[in-house]
Amino acid sequence: MSRLDDELRMAFRREQPSGDFTDRVLVRIARQPVPKLKWWQTLAALFQPPKLRWVAIGATAALLVAIGAAQYARLHPEAIDDGGKLAGTPKAEGGSNTARDAGPVKTPDVIHQAPEPKLEPTPQRNTDRHLAAVSNRKPNHTRAKDRVVNPEAEAAREKVMLALHITSETLNEAQRAIRDDGYKPQR
Amino acid sequence: MVGWEGTIALENRAAVALEDTLERSAQGDQLAFADIVRQHQGMVFGLACHFLRDRSLAEELSQEVFLNLHQNLRSIKSPAHLTFWLRKVTSHRCIDQARRQKVRPQISLEDVPEPFTHPTENDLLLSELLKRVVDALPEKARMVVILRYQEDLEPAEIAKVLDMPVNTVKSHLRRSLSILRDKLSRTLGEVTQ
Repeated sequence: MSRLDDELRMAFRREQPSGDFTDRVLVRIARQPVPKLKWWQTLAALFQPPKLRWVAIGATAALLVAIGAAQYARLHPEAIDDGGKLAGTPKAEGGSNTARDAGPVKTPDVIHQAPEPKLEPTPQRNTDRHLAAVSNRKPNHTRAKDRVVNPEAEAAREKVMLALHITSETLNEAQRAIRDDGYKPQR
Repeated sequence: MVGWEGTIALENRAAVALEDTLERSAQGDQLAFADIVRQHQGMVFGLACHFLRDRSLAEELSQEVFLNLHQNLRSIKSPAHLTFWLRKVTSHRCIDQARRQKVRPQISLEDVPEPFTHPTENDLLLSELLKRVVDALPEKARMVVILRYQEDLEPAEIAKVLDMPVNTVKSHLRRSLSILRDKLSRTLGEVTQ
């Protein structure tokens, strides 16, 4: 070890900044804006233990509703979809007049229970032009009639809507819980 | 009197405490972060101050280093990693700062003033002379010398901090020391070896 080394060590020993250095660093940190998380960091945060529970609850609820809806559609193929068209009817997409002429499609128990609704007689319109005009969109009054025609399908639709509403509420709660960590559900 | 076993135990305890502080700080504890700043400010500020030779500029740069640390706390794995990270960021920032602003006065080695008294009588003057000679070195060579003598790092450690080959670090050190010896021997005669 030479004397030069010792002299250099003495010359370049650590130095302390001014007394309020730490405070000034903390003040600058407090003034800094919160850094915006990247999308993958947000995604990764969802899989951290406290939030993972709420994500799992939301995903399970959504899955249950989807399975329920699929099961219902399988058991009741005659249910009317949201657009008012008859699902499972071969010519449902082809034209509304066909469905109207054929009358409502019903399950056997509906045939026994529900009285035959009285429909206004509609004129036969089988021209190609009319088919083309109505094939894409049914008039509103026709949809209303279809709903009246099949009350079971209407009830089923309402159930599905209710289930979707519940799922939406659950997901909203989960989302809120994720946003402000520590949130407890009201139920 | 604390023996070497006691010293090791104390060091272990300090390392555990620092690890705990680091963990709390990463979780957002501002007091823990303040502890980290207090423990490392001498190192960071010392490097910046010796390199830039400007206290206010060195304080500004040191604050930026700690701000950067605060934003990257989650990536710090251990106290050793923290020290390495701080040395690396400070060194690179200092070199960038010197290159960008060219704040330091460009003094050639020949222009460094000679001390007027004997060094053993006034070590401050010798220190000042050494600092001036080092200050006239190129940026990387200067940082190599400061890391070697302020932080007592081996050439391999300096190479990691500055992202350069070990042989380059060794040659920087050799050349810098040779310049220093030459300058001092001409000035003082007896300081060399």
